[in-house]
Amino acid sequence: MKDKLKMTKTILVIEDERPLIQAIQTKLESNGFIVVTARTIDQGLDYLENIEKIDAIWLDHYLPGEKTGLDFVAYLKGPKSKWAKMPIFIVSNTASSGNVRSYMSLGVSKYCVKAEHRLDQIVKDLKAFLDDSEK
Amino acid sequence: MKPDKRTDTLADGIARKLEALANEKEGIRRKLVVTAKQLAVTAKEKESTRRKLVVTAKQLAVTAKEKESTRRKLEVTAKQLAVTAKEKESTRRKLVVTAKTLAVTAKEKESTRRKLEVTAKQLAVTAKEKESARRKLVVTAEKLKSLYETLEKKVSERTKDLEQIRSKSEAILASIGDGLVVVDKEGRINYINKSFEEMLGWKAEEIIGKSMVQVVPREDIHGTKVSFKERILTQVLSGEKFVANLTNPFYYIRKDTSRFPTSSIVAPVILDGKTVGAVEVFRDITKEKEIDKAKTEFVSLASHQLRTPLSTVNWYSEMLLAGDAGKVTPDQKKYLEEIYAGNQRMVELVNTLLDVSRIELGTLIIESKPTNIVKLTQSVLDEHKLLITEKRIILTSSFSKKIPLIKTDPKLLRMVIQNIVSNAVKYTSDGGKIYISTVMIDGSDILMKIRDTGYGIPKDQQNKIFTKLFRADNVIGKDTEGTGLGLYIARSIVEQAGGKLWFDSTENRGSIFYVTLPLHKPKKDNDASARLYQRSNN
Repeated sequence: MKDKLKMTKTILVIEDERPLIQAIQTKLESNGFIVVTARTIDQGLDYLENIEKIDAIWLDHYLPGEKTGLDFVAYLKGPKSKWAKMPIFIVSNTASSGNVRSYMSLGVSKYCVKAEHRLDQIVKDLKAFLDDSEK
Repeated sequence: MKPDKRTDTLADGIARKLEALANEKEGIRRKLVVTAKQLAVTAKEKESTRRKLVVTAKQLAVTAKEKESTRRKLEVTAKQLAVTAKEKESTRRKLVVTAKTLAVTAKEKESTRRKLEVTAKQLAVTAKEKESARRKLVVTAEKLKSLYETLEKKVSERTKDLEQIRSKSEAILASIGDGLVVVDKEGRINYINKSFEEMLGWKAEEIIGKSMVQVVPREDIHGTKVSFKERILTQVLSGEKFVANLTNPFYYIRKDTSRFPTSSIVAPVILDGKTVGAVEVFRDITKEKEIDKAKTEFVSLASHQLRTPLSTVNWYSEMLLAGDAGKVTPDQKKYLEEIYAGNQRMVELVNTLLDVSRIELGTLIIESKPTNIVKLTQSVLDEHKLLITEKRIILTSSFSKKIPLIKTDPKLLRMVIQNIVSNAVKYTSDGGKIYISTVMIDGSDILMKIRDTGYGIPKDQQNKIFTKLFRADNVIGKDTEGTGLGLYIARSIVEQAGGKLWFDSTENRGSIFYVTLPLHKPKKDNDASARLYQRSNN
């Protein structure tokens, strides 16, 4: 039991589209993840600071408010950040090459285009990534 | 006297007989008296005769003298006559000659006379006709006179009208909102309108008579000056029919060396079948470019927005299919698969639209690396294997072994090959043939040929085939999946890479598409579309 609990990962999903949040949450939970969802960058930051054990972040690019996912990542990967090593999966439909480059250069783990990826594939990739980083 | 002497002698010898004789004597005497009397009369007559003779002699003498004079005169006359005779002979001879000549002349005259007679007759006829014609002419002349007067009136009226029209036309030309320039056969400026002056900063008096090509330089989208030979004005003047430069934007340089994006149309001015000059109409298309950019940005944004609901449909149908919401029946599964497939197509369509807007916005990022074009082609062919087998299409390919790696963006090149191959498969009927080959040409370019025995492209639509969203009539009914964007994207990518994409096609026979790619891309073409928009923003 302990082992299994230890294996359970908490994912912070920052996504504003309600139907998408629901699908993501359902899929992640059915794959054994604990899911925390936020709809804005500020809400996400709040959870990040108050919930101790978040293992990875699932992040959209365009979100309500002035800040985009890019601002959030820049903050997290900043010099004095305690989350610099936090795995981040960008799952967005804004696949402009410029954005992709910016995210990759900031050190996100993966960039997926929603419309072009199956949900189970992204979840599988996330799982594999976290498993890999544990070894 | 003699008779008197004989009578005396005879009277002495015979006495007796004297009486008889006296009687006789008396008789004779009487007779003598008579005779004497007669003699006296005769003498008198003789005297008269003598006198008459003297007179006659005298007269004769006179006559002789006269005769002598006459003779002499006659002599002179004779001489003169002799001379005259000679002259007459000469004259006669001459006359003979003349007569002969005259005879000949007479003949000729006769012939001439006959001819003249004929001519005269003809003239008579002609004269009649002339007379008739003259009469008609008189009538016509009168009519003409009246017509002329009417015409004169009309002409003066029309002249006024024309003057008005002319000044109106001039006003119209001058006020056309587009720049207008008329050049002569040598390309020298004949006329410019107000908009020309305003757009380019030149005044008519500064540039009339100068070469348009020199006064107003043209730059292409890369900022390279367009050479004299390449100027459309030059091409039109050298006999090209009509050139519009609407799709190939360029810049005109103002007097103050600033520039603006331009679209222009040049047409020859043809007079009596000869090109006597050209007329160019051009527009500042800064606004259009901004609008076009805004439109492209809109498409881009809209496409992004579309992706969100598409993702929802995608993910939920995927979850249903995966049984995340409980087991689905085979029928439900079939329907869900249709939803999923339809949604996938929509995603692809949106992606294609995004590619187009990226190309047009110049935000298409090119990541070049050494690429094996043969391997790439084979992998595209592998992707189509299923459909090719399904349609029983015979696919053959030949790749030259000498093809080196080419520095290009493999993702973009893949899009090009994918578009052409998928067209070939899509638009070839079952049992058709597709042939692909790749060779090197001149050691500098790679040439790829994709030939099919498909539906082909109707001739009258071939010039539109690379136009955005265009689909040929003959395939619209057969296949509903095309977007009309594939070849547009493919060509944009190939041209961006410094290559060319073109085709030959015959309807119902098939098409051959050709792609050339240079091993070393010419520098000036680098990221052409991106520059285009940067420039128009300046």
